[in-house]
Amino acid sequence: MSMVHPVPGAAPSTATTTAPSNVPAPTANGAPLVEVTDLRMFFPITQGTVFTHHVGDVRAVDGVTLSVRRGETLGLVGESGCGKSTAGRAILRLYRPTDGRIVFDGTDITHLEGGALRRMRRRMQMIFQDPYASLNPRMTAAGIVGEPLDIHQIGTTSERRTRVRELFEVVGLDPEYGERYPHEFSGGQRQRIGVARALAVNPDLIIADEPISALDVSIQAQIINLLERLQSQFGLTYVFIAHDLSVVRHISDRIAVMYLGRIVELAGSRELNERPMHPYSVALLSAVPIPDPVVESRRRRVILKGDVPNPAAPPPGCHFHTRCWLRERLGNPAECETVAPPLVDALPGHAVACHFADRVAGTPEASASADLASSLRAGGGAVGTARPGQVTS
Amino acid sequence: MPTTDGPLLSVRDLVVRFRTHDGTVHAVNGVSFDVAEGETLGLVGESGCGKSVTNLAVMRLLPKPAGHIEGGEIRFEGIDLTKASEAQMRDLRGSDIAMIFQDPMTSLNPVLTIEEQMVETIRAHRPVGQKEARDRAIELLRMVGIPNPELRLRSFPHHFSGGMRQRVMIAMALALEPKLLIADEPTTALDVTIQAQVLELLQRLTTERGTAVILITHDLGVVAGMASRINVMYAGFVAETASTPVLFAEPRHPYTVGLLHSMPRLDSPEGEPLIPIEGTPPDLRRAPVGCPFAPRCAWRLPRCWEANPSLQPLVGGEPIVTTGPGVTHRIACWNPPTADEARIGRPLREGFVPAPPPGAAGTGAAASGTGGDVVVFAAGGDGQDGGTAAAGHSPEPAAPGRRS
Repeated sequence: MSMVHPVPGAAPSTATTTAPSNVPAPTANGAPLVEVTDLRMFFPITQGTVFTHHVGDVRAVDGVTLSVRRGETLGLVGESGCGKSTAGRAILRLYRPTDGRIVFDGTDITHLEGGALRRMRRRMQMIFQDPYASLNPRMTAAGIVGEPLDIHQIGTTSERRTRVRELFEVVGLDPEYGERYPHEFSGGQRQRIGVARALAVNPDLIIADEPISALDVSIQAQIINLLERLQSQFGLTYVFIAHDLSVVRHISDRIAVMYLGRIVELAGSRELNERPMHPYSVALLSAVPIPDPVVESRRRRVILKGDVPNPAAPPPGCHFHTRCWLRERLGNPAECETVAPPLVDALPGHAVACHFADRVAGTPEASASADLASSLRAGGGAVGTARPGQVTS
Repeated sequence: MPTTDGPLLSVRDLVVRFRTHDGTVHAVNGVSFDVAEGETLGLVGESGCGKSVTNLAVMRLLPKPAGHIEGGEIRFEGIDLTKASEAQMRDLRGSDIAMIFQDPMTSLNPVLTIEEQMVETIRAHRPVGQKEARDRAIELLRMVGIPNPELRLRSFPHHFSGGMRQRVMIAMALALEPKLLIADEPTTALDVTIQAQVLELLQRLTTERGTAVILITHDLGVVAGMASRINVMYAGFVAETASTPVLFAEPRHPYTVGLLHSMPRLDSPEGEPLIPIEGTPPDLRRAPVGCPFAPRCAWRLPRCWEANPSLQPLVGGEPIVTTGPGVTHRIACWNPPTADEARIGRPLREGFVPAPPPGAAGTGAAASGTGGDVVVFAAGGDGQDGGTAAAGHSPEPAAPGRRS
């Protein structure tokens, strides 16, 4: 099981929380629960078997700054290899960050170790992508859900048993299934067990790393609705990591778009959808297929050239410049290749990392997403079914 | 005897089963459809719905010894492929019917260069020399947008990224100008921006050449933009078939309606809740009784538990068109949602309650009270998979043995 696995023996404690001193002022929707500043997570590439030497780094997360507000859902979206999972895991301190600072509820956890880290982890849990690999096949469902309680020594044995039954009910599983083993459950049920395990210690923050990607289409909505219900029931804060922008948009209050280890755009979910300001976000939005042939036939798709470059040798300057459609249109300005654009607020609450973000609006590519958002708001329909009479095409 | 009239491919009452240690898997249970020259048919469904198995049967590539075609016929240009010899099939594969798989890494040979693989394919089917075949390979790689094709020919598959490998697969599949291309989840393993590239390429090349395509996918968004006609499959049956615009504007099978309402859409109004399909896909090791979707269906009637509806036209009395944009809209359902219900995603009829399973009905109120379905639909909650839908049945085992 790849769950957070502290050694038993830590006393449950809330004493580690110290008053925040240099944390930025709380923003609109409440105080930030997590503050990440200039986080870097490099994985060394080594050569040789006996005498290994360091030949380079995979720069998985390369200077990420973000905050997660209490009670919100922050979506982290990007393509494979963009560092979204690594960023999520680094926030939980499953890694020792190369550089930067992570503050959780006022406590700097960047360099916490041992018991202190274990106590913090009681407040942050993770839900994994693969419900097949993330549950120990030799443990019963009840054992899996109750393990965090054992580890953190919460309650007596009978209290724990009651709590496990409660958790089963909360996630929509029959408590009688507690004695079964993971292989006796379907994918969706397994993911519910994973959710129950994450809830067991009453965490403040849950990092969900692609929690529905491994599930069948008809099951995905069950888990999304479950996560949404639990959030309002228990006041949870989520970091929702996924590659599917339509799912992320549905569940998130704010969305951070990542590309090659950096956040390129961070904005409210609706704002990002209607007014993307980074050329990459525009392309990503336009590439998401929409299950409606009428919409699809009208859409203008931005097809990016080539593949995502190797994160061990990212392009200089703006990481996206090798594939950027806007740079090409502007006559390949030199700035893009030399200067990494910082993530700055272009509008209140809408940060973007592009030298020419102001030139995105008004391009046919960008207005396509705005049109899509506004036309459908006007139409009011959600599903193709909502607009009968459009069978004309 | 072979004729060239009629559709390019015609599948009739195809039944495919797998004999495994765990019992017989009822993978495809009587599927019929046609594909005309040059058209793109989308096959949509979840894992285990039989969409891939149907096409492996067409290619006669079912895993041996477990997989068997147990009934029906598959006519390609009039020839019944279920009876064709292995030699006939070998001639057909690649040159008349080509296939692209989900994972290009496992369908390319890792120890041969791209050149060796492409030249081998071309020369196996065409009487051309090494040089000519190589030139053709270069031309094909250029066509699918691989830079420096002369150099890349000498590369091994692992030198390419996922998107590039899928391009190589497309080049190889189109090398012999097949009449039918079967693309099985061609972009599922790819990132969304790469998916857009590959789909655009696939659409452009097949349109230019007039290649018919069967596009297999679980993603309704992908077929919406690509296919002219769609078969929605569930548990080895075709649940609904219609032209793409009709299917999305007027879905009439509860499963199609459920799928459309359970996916978040990039353009849906904010805060709109998803309506999940309750329960889990059926265990295909049990022989189908009644409508396979009944345990998960909000519209089910008592008869849905007992009799499996056949695929029937929505409007009777007209001749059935099985190919092209004017295809007849057909569904397999005893109690189809009305247009309003399809729009909302749940039954609107006053006091309508999905019929409890036959066993539960017999034991009266106690069973239906614990059934859960009623409660779940009324609450519109996140639903439960497994347990609730199987009320009245023995608690459902896991769902291994599913194949797709």
